[in-house]
Amino acid sequence: MEYILKNGIVYDPINEINGEKKDVMFKDGKIVNSVSDDAKVIDVTDKLVMPAGIDVHCHLAGPKLCVGRLYRPEDERRGVKPKTDITRPETGFSIPNCPATGYRFSKMGYGTVVEAAVPPLEAKHTHEEIIAIPNIDIPPLTLFGNNWFILQFAKEGRIEDIAAFVSAWLKITKGYGVKIVNPCGSEAWGWGMNVHGIDDPAPYWDVTAREVIRALAQANEMLGLPHSIHIHPNDLGHPGNFPTTVNTIDCMKDIKKNSEYRNQTIHLTHAQFHCYDGTSWRDVTSGVEPVADYINKHDHVTMDMGQVTLDETTTMTADGPMEYDLYELTGLKWANKDIELETASGLVPFIYSGRNPVHSLQWAIGLELALMIEDPWKVCLTTDSPNAGPFIRYPRVMSWLMSYQRRAEMMDNKEVHAWAGRKSALGTLDREYDFYDIATITRAGPSKIYGFEDRGHLGAGAIADIAVYDLEPNNFDPTRNAAEVEKAFSNALYTIKDGQILVKDGEIVKVVSSKHVRTEVEGFEDEEKRILEEIMPFFNRYYTVKFENYVVHDHYAEPSSVYKVNASK
Amino acid sequence: MAYEPPVTDYDKIVENCTCAFCGSNCDDVDILVKDNHVVGVRHACRLGASKIMEDEDQRLTVPMIRDENGELVEVDWDTALDKAAELIAGAVRPVFYGWSETSIEAMKPGLELTELVGAVIDNQATICHGPTVQAVQNVGYPLMTLGEVKNRADMVVYTGSNPMNAHPRHLARYTTFPKGFFRKRGRFDRTLVTWDPKYSDTAKLSDIWVPFEENGDYAFCNAIRAVLKGKELKQDVISGIPKEDIVALTEKMKNTQFGALFFGLGLTHTLSKQRNIDIAIQLVQDLNKYTKWVLLPMRGHFNVNGFNIFMSYEMGFPYGVDFSRGYPRYMIGETTTIDLLNRKECDVFMVIAADPGAHFPGGALAHLADIPVIQIDIHWGPSTELADVVLPGTFIGVETAGTSYRMDSVPIFMKKAIDPPETCREDEWIVNELLKRVTKLKEASK
Amino acid sequence: MTYIEKPSISNVVKFEDPDVAQVKKLTVMLNTGTDIYQGACKKRGSTLKDEYRKVAGVCYMDPKDMARLGVGNWDSVLVKSDWGEVVCYAAHSRDAPHEGMIFIPKGPWANVVVSPETYCCSDPTYKGIHATVEKTDKEVLLMADLMRYVYKKYVKEGDKTEELPSLGEMPIYKRKVRSQ
Repeated sequence: MEYILKNGIVYDPINEINGEKKDVMFKDGKIVNSVSDDAKVIDVTDKLVMPAGIDVHCHLAGPKLCVGRLYRPEDERRGVKPKTDITRPETGFSIPNCPATGYRFSKMGYGTVVEAAVPPLEAKHTHEEIIAIPNIDIPPLTLFGNNWFILQFAKEGRIEDIAAFVSAWLKITKGYGVKIVNPCGSEAWGWGMNVHGIDDPAPYWDVTAREVIRALAQANEMLGLPHSIHIHPNDLGHPGNFPTTVNTIDCMKDIKKNSEYRNQTIHLTHAQFHCYDGTSWRDVTSGVEPVADYINKHDHVTMDMGQVTLDETTTMTADGPMEYDLYELTGLKWANKDIELETASGLVPFIYSGRNPVHSLQWAIGLELALMIEDPWKVCLTTDSPNAGPFIRYPRVMSWLMSYQRRAEMMDNKEVHAWAGRKSALGTLDREYDFYDIATITRAGPSKIYGFEDRGHLGAGAIADIAVYDLEPNNFDPTRNAAEVEKAFSNALYTIKDGQILVKDGEIVKVVSSKHVRTEVEGFEDEEKRILEEIMPFFNRYYTVKFENYVVHDHYAEPSSVYKVNASK
Repeated sequence: MAYEPPVTDYDKIVENCTCAFCGSNCDDVDILVKDNHVVGVRHACRLGASKIMEDEDQRLTVPMIRDENGELVEVDWDTALDKAAELIAGAVRPVFYGWSETSIEAMKPGLELTELVGAVIDNQATICHGPTVQAVQNVGYPLMTLGEVKNRADMVVYTGSNPMNAHPRHLARYTTFPKGFFRKRGRFDRTLVTWDPKYSDTAKLSDIWVPFEENGDYAFCNAIRAVLKGKELKQDVISGIPKEDIVALTEKMKNTQFGALFFGLGLTHTLSKQRNIDIAIQLVQDLNKYTKWVLLPMRGHFNVNGFNIFMSYEMGFPYGVDFSRGYPRYMIGETTTIDLLNRKECDVFMVIAADPGAHFPGGALAHLADIPVIQIDIHWGPSTELADVVLPGTFIGVETAGTSYRMDSVPIFMKKAIDPPETCREDEWIVNELLKRVTKLKEASK
Repeated sequence: MTYIEKPSISNVVKFEDPDVAQVKKLTVMLNTGTDIYQGACKKRGSTLKDEYRKVAGVCYMDPKDMARLGVGNWDSVLVKSDWGEVVCYAAHSRDAPHEGMIFIPKGPWANVVVSPETYCCSDPTYKGIHATVEKTDKEVLLMADLMRYVYKKYVKEGDKTEELPSLGEMPIYKRKVRSQ
């Protein structure tokens, strides 16, 4: 089937198209340069056209989500919608049920959403949920930062063995890339402890976060994986944590990248939670400046925001000790889920409020980061959904980034507490994102960062993932109309996925299966086999499942989209 | 017991099968097969082995329908499925109960059918760990996978459960006996504690047995919490346990390196129901101020947790979900099976992979005697005595492969060892057939 | 700690125990739940058999309570609660001592006497039921007979369930005639 999307105003930063009126053509699910006269015409004259959105970091499928849904029916009861002829029933606000997750992303014009943390032992669960989520492609990131084998090899400096392990475990878990969460800290949580800073060793293993991060990064580059290491550093959410953040990025600067498409060797996730100055919640202030300054001066790092949206939400992370701290702080119901030999995790509901000084400061810090980092290619829009806010608020975050007036208004009329202005530099930042910048932080940048050569742009050969919004960029001032920006980005005029129209006029018109996007390394098979043989006795002794039953079988990952990586190049 | 010589006459061994009995989901079971029959089982406990070495006399092998005399009559698959579909399509308030002894793959079409006809879908959690789920919704859920206990725990507490009877390999495989990475001497490195009014088989193995009084669980946990918070106990004896013993035990619990609390139906089935669990969870949360503690409910069936997980990710609610209004509704005491039966609301009852005849109170079962019952199961059981349509399924984990979730939510793919009997059909196939036929009936009546 | 000391269990029912006064009816607390014999028999599928009656139709009692009632192992007792009454075998409990408490493993027999009341919590009350136990001459019914006797789903009007022939220990259904 051929289509021609006519006369839209196109923003496609990878191909340096900045608001040009042009046609976008696609055939059999791929973007093409020309189509025949039989092509079906979709008239989008003067409307905003972008590649479909890519979310670099979201918790949307897997065991943590499920604990959240199971123990928060009060959240599920928000956002209930009955079934229609096309869609299944929806429930949930911060942790929607799987069908709702797919529909809501699709309605915002998103096509690819990264699941940010998969414990290998329960990877099957994540893939089962991906099967249940419709309409978006999902690359899952596999957790490695507290894995006992990695801790041991990192201590011994066995980089090639780590590479072999990572290569094998990405296949076993059907994962896309390497995620590191509070390295050494989540292992310490096995004993109810934590580590502080990157040079505080894990109990027993006697290895530091610095060693683990560097070792995994070197292994990542040895394999030449499409994504760099993806890190949630130590000390999340602690006042005075910005030096840890800077140290984490800085310890990586000598590591050479092995990828032509991406620029970074480390992706710093939900940076907002990692940029606090001060010593306690009483004297906390923004620590954005030193972090933004470092990122501005170095090209080996990219980040995403983790923007607080001031909603009641559910926090969930593999950073187990942090969640316990949060429980002590708020007293709200605490869930925890430690995974043998691999990681910890926890959940606590959280009520962000504009009346609360700390939450307001967090709100300001996220925006400050996006505005102070000069190069939008280094920034991605996220809310670390659902941690800082649910993903359905992305359009609202866009509206804040695009309008100085709106930000000032929020601070002036007390929608946020005075701390937002007093303890951060947000009030002084009059930078405003334009549509090209928005396309960069939600499409083009993520494509580069993840090595998604086939998506995030509208060049010929890319998959036909396209979003059209009901805005006319040439007759519309986003800096003055925040509410309309939010509305338009929340309800795409068209969302096209693999050349199929899934959303029209803000409503789901078609439901398709999601693809499991994963990486497979080729040319490292001998090393994988050797390392598996070496670790198997240990595996059999200390895991509680047999290796045969640990592996994610193929039928959990259909349909798949596999990025092959040639490790020998 | 008489000595039985080991089985030597078999064609092949299928290794690393997963036992389809309790929530321990032991995945190291070896099944000995001869001529497509199970002739022996290795590594399984008495319970698991008894299930895998099933009683073939009572295997449901053919579809059946009751005739006008109340006798079951063998019919072909089409007739039985059409009859069942007709009952479901004509129902006003159907309830689809069970699911805990089948695979996630079979639940998927089951949920579709539920959404299609606006039924209530519920599983065995409603009569076992339902209060646990409610308590978790009240106060939280600090848990772990069982390997964490195996590798780290130096204190293990069982309360309101008797794993030596209900989960016989739980102690041996996961918690007490195995040699863990940080517990190299296994049993000798751990303190095993049982809190139970009865001197149960687990208590007999324990280092410490705390025989609090019947219904004394809440007060006992509360006393430990009070001691933890530095309060003086005002009574000399609480729930039958002397004050000094409570203080000494609290000290011990505070001074472990890694403690794990396992609780069972002893807590959920007594009068205080979910409040018992509330306080047990809060106790564990309090203990984390001092050292590491985690807990886990002892789930009964091998996929009872799986259903709760499946329903949570598909529809946002764990069990007792009512679709009669076109959207999912979850109201404990309102949309849950026993309450629906007690109120005589349900008009067609489908039971799959469960045996309410053996497990529901008579007061609830009385209503099943008044309405049509469709049974999908592998054995002739008490529920068959109340069933109007009987559809013979296959045995997950032995005859059919599928996914299940262990009590600690670890997903396991259960493989098959033999082919199912020719006349039986997989649960997934049966439910899919029902879905097709009901869809057709609904469309015809539009 | 004092409670570490474990009880010694009497394995015999001593009818002539001088501490024990004979009674006609015992007021007890009824608990139900799983036990390994019931579990194994049920899941093997042997629920129609005599074996199931012997593992699930059993009222486990403290030996002293048995002496009070004057019942030995495998004598019949009638258990009554607000919810119904059922005949079970008496047997001395492995978990004794627990005077004043009886245990019937979960199953069709226990179901008759437990409470369906959920108190709006989805879960019926299976434990801590007030009940009485007395000696009886009646037989413990096989599973199929018990289900027929209690729920009478397919009993014709006018038929006395007690007088119907036993349904036995094997499945009963009309088989299709198959041509060879």
